[in-house]
Amino acid sequence: MVNLFKRMRKLKTILDIRTGTGAAIFPSPTSATKEFPPVTRLHLTYAQKIYNGHQGARHFWRNCLPRLKYHNPGVRMTVQQTDDQNAPPALTIYFAERLSSTASAIVGAKKITDKHAPAPEGGEKTAVVDLKDLSYKEIWSRVQASTGAEEVPASAEDEAERKRLDAITAKAGKDRERIQAMRQAKKDQERMLAEARGEVEKLKAL
Amino acid sequence: MSSYGTVLPTVARGILSSCRPALREKSIAPAFSTFQQVRGAKSNPQARGKGKKDSKSDRKGPREFRQKNLKDMEQHALCDAMRYLRAVEVGREPTASKYEVHIRLRTRRDGPVIRNMIRFPHAVQTESRICVICPPGSKQAKDALAAGAVLVGEDEVFEAVKAGKIEFDRCLAHPDSLPALNKAALGRILGPRGLMPSVKTGTVVDDVAARVEMLRGGTVYRERDAVIRLPIGQLGFSPEQLRDNLRTTIDQIKKDASGLNDRVNKEIYEVVLSSTHGPGFSLNGEFKTDNSPETSALTGV
Repeated sequence: MVNLFKRMRKLKTILDIRTGTGAAIFPSPTSATKEFPPVTRLHLTYAQKIYNGHQGARHFWRNCLPRLKYHNPGVRMTVQQTDDQNAPPALTIYFAERLSSTASAIVGAKKITDKHAPAPEGGEKTAVVDLKDLSYKEIWSRVQASTGAEEVPASAEDEAERKRLDAITAKAGKDRERIQAMRQAKKDQERMLAEARGEVEKLKAL
Repeated sequence: MSSYGTVLPTVARGILSSCRPALREKSIAPAFSTFQQVRGAKSNPQARGKGKKDSKSDRKGPREFRQKNLKDMEQHALCDAMRYLRAVEVGREPTASKYEVHIRLRTRRDGPVIRNMIRFPHAVQTESRICVICPPGSKQAKDALAAGAVLVGEDEVFEAVKAGKIEFDRCLAHPDSLPALNKAALGRILGPRGLMPSVKTGTVVDDVAARVEMLRGGTVYRERDAVIRLPIGQLGFSPEQLRDNLRTTIDQIKKDASGLNDRVNKEIYEVVLSSTHGPGFSLNGEFKTDNSPETSALTGV
């Protein structure tokens, strides 16, 4: 099994799941307001390659969706990767009963449909956001504005942990440079010696 | 005193004088010195490992697998670990991602290993395709087909395997077909995939049909370097389902460990829950904590 300390170090990455862009709680049936109804599902569709503006959607899946899933374990989230590079990447937000008041404004005038998204069930209303050429942070701000998701601030321990990990990363960079300089110096020395020996051989041959 | 001391031979003098310790200590020292040095070398732990013989055993390494103290390890309750793993696996194909468990044992480096098969209360694999090698048209062939084997026969199976068509996950054989199987020389193809039937792994059996029945929904596991790894659930499982499977696994492994030779002592040291794409979470044995979400939220996609 992998070394215990390696595993412990790797496990620190769960900090990235708890905090960061997208660490927010959607309105649930208990915390929903008139303006923002509860969110029941999310569906993301994007194409395999990044051209035609599919990069941000993939980054949104990689960066934000795990955090959203962690803070909203009950909200179902599905992702569909397609081969169709020309179809726009789309995020479908499913609201219970009615759309939120800001959703229609966020979606904009250009209505798109996502044929891969599962059909709404039980009175769900969907808002499809066109993600073409948006970065994942822009996507997140739109999602947040349309759903009224409440950001979860990082706790004091998490802040301290983040600082500690950043310090370790910074130190690792410095150490890497230092060790590389040492190795290079040793290599140079060896090369010089080898060259000098070559000179002696040449002189002997003469 | 000194008169008979000088007359007697050295050894006898030593024995005699040892009865009177303080007086002639200096003179007896040479007689005893060699003996005492030998004794000292044996009993003194610091002197060990200097001889040639000892250095050889050093090279072999420790007899047991080294186990670090888990005191610093962050351990999680099952529901909390599931919450993180489900977050990591978000958007993945739900049938492709599985929960895995890694059970670390405290055990010696040599000696027997645990290998067995388990049937979970909640099946992990949806369907495992089984191939049975037995004389076609025999009673066993019919029974195996009835029990749910996908591929039954002798020559046609060999031909298919040789052509590279391996459309099964398990392979069983009847003892009657063993000579034919050995003649076909499929070990090269099936061996690396772990599909070659052999008596040792329990895949050459008389009652083929019963074995097929058992293998469907069963999972084979074995201990490698003191760790048993096996898939334990689909990503859509509820925490209760996963707990049932985990409990069954641990109970069976304990049973396996006690069923081995009496002198072999194996015990479970750490249980780590992981998933196809996720990191490993060391479990602390609790089901949920106060911060865990509802178990219904941890179910489904």
